[in-house]
Amino acid sequence: MVAGSRDARARSAAGRLNAPRPALVEAGPGGVPRVVNREQVTLVREEWRVVDRWWTEEPVDRRYFEVVLESGRNVCVYRDREAGCWFSQNA
Amino acid sequence: MIACLLIPGFELRAALRARPRLELEPAALAPEIGAEPLLGPVTAAAEAAGVRPGMRLGEALATCPALVLVERDPAAVEREWEGVLRRLEDAGFAVDPVEHGVVVFETRGVERLYGGVQPALERALAAVGAGWDPRLGAAGRRFTALAAASVARPGQVLVVAPKEEESFLEPLPLSLLPLSSERYAELEGLGLRRLGELARLPSGAVAERLGPDGRKAWRLAHGGRRARVRGRRPASELAEALVFPEAVGNELTLRRALASLLERLLARPERAGRPFRKVALAARLVDGGSWRRALTLREATAEPARLRAALGPKLAELPAPIVELRLEAVELAEHAGQQLALVEPAGEEATARLREGLRQVRASTGTGSVCAVVEVAPWSRVPETRALVVPRDV
Repeated sequence: MVAGSRDARARSAAGRLNAPRPALVEAGPGGVPRVVNREQVTLVREEWRVVDRWWTEEPVDRRYFEVVLESGRNVCVYRDREAGCWFSQNA
Repeated sequence: MIACLLIPGFELRAALRARPRLELEPAALAPEIGAEPLLGPVTAAAEAAGVRPGMRLGEALATCPALVLVERDPAAVEREWEGVLRRLEDAGFAVDPVEHGVVVFETRGVERLYGGVQPALERALAAVGAGWDPRLGAAGRRFTALAAASVARPGQVLVVAPKEEESFLEPLPLSLLPLSSERYAELEGLGLRRLGELARLPSGAVAERLGPDGRKAWRLAHGGRRARVRGRRPASELAEALVFPEAVGNELTLRRALASLLERLLARPERAGRPFRKVALAARLVDGGSWRRALTLREATAEPARLRAALGPKLAELPAPIVELRLEAVELAEHAGQQLALVEPAGEEATARLREGLRQVRASTGTGSVCAVVEVAPWSRVPETRALVVPRDV
């Protein structure tokens, strides 16, 4: 795997793969996404929760949604209940 | 501790080494050819006359008609910077150069040698030389060390204790963050001026509003990651130069000069039979400027004909007649020869080609550009903790 040629400093240390990226999500009733990154959601395929590391200082409490957008793209987004905002990630 | 040595306006200082008289006069580094007419770094006298780095050329000349424009000298910058790095390496520091004028290193390995952090840092300043006006910052994290160096006075060592990092960063301006001008404008529009003001905001809100850049900036405002510094592999000093009695612009003569330089470089005993992976061609122009092109070879080679074929076309890019031509071996391959097999085992050739390709990428982009994915917790329910991207030396 070859990283980008810029930002040589960031490359010198180990980095996370598949890190979550902030997503622009509008949620409907029940907190289910209606619009993801300005694209309408046509289908919610799956929904699950991940609660982990509650015994540490960085607890994980996420509500994941696998959705199909208007363009036909499959996207996985989650709401981070600790930070109170949305992210997209390949789950 | 991580230390950061900063030499502001390094490119101008390096270009002025040949004309030290100008250091006391209003002078500025000329804009790059073909780029926007914006000034580079400026001297203290120019700053006192109201000229600022990044100012438009017309505005600067209207503000200070006596302003002297210093031509860019990439070869001198490269040479002087290499000299600074080598002096630090000779003093025992494993350096990780960030850009011209900014270098990071760890003090841990030499603290006992010099009797503590402070004496080690003072040794680093002395190694660089007072003529460059270096500033040194040291802290537990890289970004804090850079911030400390940015606020230190010339010749000063500023050490930030790990417990004081956040309070140290708090009053510093947002301009220390590596952000685009649009992002600064956005932050200023939100009424944010200091790192502490950004650090006090909730991370989620910053990430949602400003995206990955904002998240990175927020993390840096808290001091950044605790990453270790990996020292560079010292470059080999293998170069040959040819000085012409009068300016030369004729391509045939230049090609002959290149062939002669290649012959001399290939005959150097320090090469120990190893082929070249990366070479650089530099020239001193007749009007005093300089020119430099680095070239990473597709396949490491020591064959004169292939090297001539790769370097020859670069001579056509020379902007003016030259008075000196220099050929440098920037990186040598580790093997002296390549053993060929009569019958390659299946898949072996593809693997060898892949490795060779990765070596080329590493040679042209530097250490740490080639990474491997390492599974650390494939069973984890949190996706980003399942694997890490780790720099790999090939």
